[in-house]
Amino acid sequence: MYQDNEDDCKFAACTYFAKNHPGEMCGSNGLPLTPSSITILGRAQRLLTIEHPNLCTYLDVIRGKHERIIVVAEVIGKSLKECTSKFSFQEIVNIAKQVAISMKFLHDQDIIHRTLSDDNILIDNEGRVKLFNYGLYYMTGGGSEVSFPLGLPRYLSPETILNGGGPAADVWSYGIILLELSIGKLWNNLKPGPILRRILTLVHANNPAERIAREHDCFEQYKQVPENLRNIIEKCLKIYPSERATFSELVEDLTQMDSKELVEVKTPRGLMGCKLQYLYHLWQLAGGDIQAELKKNYLIKNSPPILSMPIAILLDGCTIGGKTGALFDRRLAKYSLDLLKSRLSHVPPQDFYPLMHERRKEYDAVALPKIIRERDTEYQFYRLLWFHRLLHGYPYTAPYIRAEAEIDIPPLVRGDVWAALLGVVGDIEDQYERIDKETPTPTDRQIDVDIPRCHQYCWLLCGSAGHKTLKRLLKAWLLTNPQYVYWQGLDSLTAPFLYLNFCNEARAFACLSAFVPKFLHKFFLKDNSAVIKEYLAKFWQMTAFHEPELATHLHEINFVPELFAIPWFLTMFSHVFPLHKIVHLWDALLVEGPALPLFMGVGILRQLRDTLLSSGFNECILLFSDLPEIDIGECVKESIEMCRSSPRSVSYRRFTNEAEVKDPMDIVEIPMEVLFNEISPRINLSDFFSLICQDKCCVIDIRSNLLYEKSCIDGSINVPYSGVHLGQHELRALGLHPQRVIQEAIKQKKMVVVASAEDETAQLFSDYLVKCCVPRVCILHGGISALLTHVPSLFTVPPKRNGHK
Amino acid sequence: MATNRSGAAQRPNGAPQTKVCQFKLVLLGESAVGKSSLVLRFVKGQFHEYQESTIGAAFLTQTVCLDDTTVKFEIWDTAGQERYHSLAPMYYRGAQAAIVVYDITNQDTFGRAKNWVKELQRQASPSIVIALAGNKSDLAAKRMVEFEEAQAYADENGLLFMETSAKTAMNVNDIFLAIANKLPKSEGGGSAGAGGARRLGDAEQARSSSCCK
Repeated sequence: MYQDNEDDCKFAACTYFAKNHPGEMCGSNGLPLTPSSITILGRAQRLLTIEHPNLCTYLDVIRGKHERIIVVAEVIGKSLKECTSKFSFQEIVNIAKQVAISMKFLHDQDIIHRTLSDDNILIDNEGRVKLFNYGLYYMTGGGSEVSFPLGLPRYLSPETILNGGGPAADVWSYGIILLELSIGKLWNNLKPGPILRRILTLVHANNPAERIAREHDCFEQYKQVPENLRNIIEKCLKIYPSERATFSELVEDLTQMDSKELVEVKTPRGLMGCKLQYLYHLWQLAGGDIQAELKKNYLIKNSPPILSMPIAILLDGCTIGGKTGALFDRRLAKYSLDLLKSRLSHVPPQDFYPLMHERRKEYDAVALPKIIRERDTEYQFYRLLWFHRLLHGYPYTAPYIRAEAEIDIPPLVRGDVWAALLGVVGDIEDQYERIDKETPTPTDRQIDVDIPRCHQYCWLLCGSAGHKTLKRLLKAWLLTNPQYVYWQGLDSLTAPFLYLNFCNEARAFACLSAFVPKFLHKFFLKDNSAVIKEYLAKFWQMTAFHEPELATHLHEINFVPELFAIPWFLTMFSHVFPLHKIVHLWDALLVEGPALPLFMGVGILRQLRDTLLSSGFNECILLFSDLPEIDIGECVKESIEMCRSSPRSVSYRRFTNEAEVKDPMDIVEIPMEVLFNEISPRINLSDFFSLICQDKCCVIDIRSNLLYEKSCIDGSINVPYSGVHLGQHELRALGLHPQRVIQEAIKQKKMVVVASAEDETAQLFSDYLVKCCVPRVCILHGGISALLTHVPSLFTVPPKRNGHK
Repeated sequence: MATNRSGAAQRPNGAPQTKVCQFKLVLLGESAVGKSSLVLRFVKGQFHEYQESTIGAAFLTQTVCLDDTTVKFEIWDTAGQERYHSLAPMYYRGAQAAIVVYDITNQDTFGRAKNWVKELQRQASPSIVIALAGNKSDLAAKRMVEFEEAQAYADENGLLFMETSAKTAMNVNDIFLAIANKLPKSEGGGSAGAGGARRLGDAEQARSSSCCK
């Protein structure tokens, strides 16, 4: 099973089974008990973030079928167990020192190893030592989530055998390992029972180490062990845990002893110098399959179902008989990176070190949909290296990150990129640490009933670790935002941040705290009705602006956004879509800014357009109660296009976090009651001016022809309002010339701006145009008179035309 | 719940064999008592352990067939959180029936249900049929609201009352059927749209053949 070329194998997997809950049991809230494998998955996430030179980095924890857990982690060299040659004392001290350093690190993080043994201490040719799978005890909640005992019998401390033991038990195991390295394998041919008995008899020994040596007829050999090393061993092998040395003391002792100085390991150039997490990710994209490889190595055995059927099932659901696989397998399956190496063999060496100011590489893949790009090995390789570099320079590289994120965001670094896009900086851990997340509040009941229903299909969020963290985040946010209250939906809104920052609670919190003011300013006020009403009214106007036919139909059947769109905007769609869709939606949102969601709403309606147009009220509302499949890629693309093509003032809202506009050229604000009655949005004078300058709008002046002929906007057409039959929804009714001009404007995707002397007529006429299915209709805010005051240069006297009044 | 689809859909010209009545029904109650689950069980026969919370409201329809009438329920399932209270009138306005739901394992939700009943009696249409549903009866071991207590309250206020379980489907169809039976199905009674039962036009009826199973 082991490959000889060490360099090839960068990671390995091992597997075990989590405990099965007997039968279908429910917790106190009536919900099914969380499967042990999910609890393990949640706990193990923390291990994935641990990095230390003497610890094998955890890369992945996978949940297989039938409560199987697969742990993927870095490997190096071989285990002490596999090393057949004897170590010199100097080498032993070298190993002892590195193990002690890594164990001290773990204990500082409150992680107890408990399963320290000769087969999970790995050593390479240069004498570098790393611990493998040191988190088994931690991820299984001290062994409570598995039904097999943890640890090898001969390394168990007496108190562990008696069902106790804390961190000091690791010191005992460590002592036994050092003793074994010095005098040879202990209790070699004994079964577990007798071994445990032997260990327990040590309780009466004054010096267990000597006693063990005598038992093995190795006392002379033991006496030849250098005294300082013997001291270390004896400090570890004390019967009373409190008398044992701690790892910090041991590290101190060991650093005073001489051992071989380790050669500084140079990070290899090229592919092997990439972050291990990236290699693992790319290896998977290149077709690497952890489970398939485990099957090949017989670590996962498939037997016909008939063999695994129980012989009897008790009423409480416990099963008797039936063949089950080994609950825990000590073997490792190592993986070769050849697959990935050959896949990327043609990449020139300089590409591994992209320069920030170099011209951006053009990839063919950019034309493909995002979900395909995310599965493309080579594309992700380039993107990851590039983003890695940019993120390294954050916050100074923020503009670059934004520009790159506009193209796409590699899933592996999405959490980092989002934080950068939201401008998260500073000592967020410390800030988060200071917030009281524990004191009960009256909102707790609501949070408690909502969390077990929030994105529970996601393995991370449905475990107890996920529940607890989500609750802490919500409580912290509510406490730091006393102006706001908990509205149902805030849980869904927090979920994507937790999902992407599962082990970085502080950053999840910082992201949420930055997100709300930007996108949902004032939405969580106790009385948020004005805010929501304005948002929905703007959304409805944008629908009329880009989808006039649909808007007209929905208006006719009285299908108002209050009935279906509140969860869309209150949660920025996080309550409506599953996480894998939300991340793409939010990727765009974070880059484009707070106007985009309005157009995303329109984008969703547009995808359902045909169904909606042919449906009555009931069918429409039913459609939204159980939203059909939406193509998010398409929706994002269209909404960005709509957003960018709409003048900014058209989507203006008063309840935003932006500075108040003072310049009369920029103002579009109108009283709320007026807003609710207006079908078409208003455009401010400066946006109008820039449209005119770029020849991107068609101006319809609806004043009387007398006024028009006196002075009018250059290039505008005159359709006197008094002559329009509002009942006839056909452009033809406006006359031949206006019809041609408007149709030409529609073809060229110009804005159609209604300019009038009074607001009411402008509104009625714009409504009429929308009913005629004219897109991009808006009203000039302030009308002709405001324009005349501020930009008189746009006015002219129209030439008299023959045959037309 | 035997239904008679052909009877409603293919009727000879002129005289209908069955009347089709449409009623607006609203579900009210504290959050997480199982409003959405009750509707989902009634309409689709499904149950999700982790039914997501309802924001704003959700809308579903289901048809039940009584002896001589087909009753089509337009069901508005509302958000339970107190904060969404201000939206509630939008949904119960014009409703002919309401189910006020509480959780039998939580006394507070029963208190909240009583408040909803009071509000409906004050604000909703006077002829509204109100049913009280004590949901989660599968968790009887953790019961905090006694059946008798709720029954007495229901009797006092003239409410229909059942203990239901969306999980086991106990009494779910029954409570909707009981409401259907109690609703006045007078020919042409009430105004179309907002109140009263209304007969469906031919065109509308042809499209509403979705739900009977």
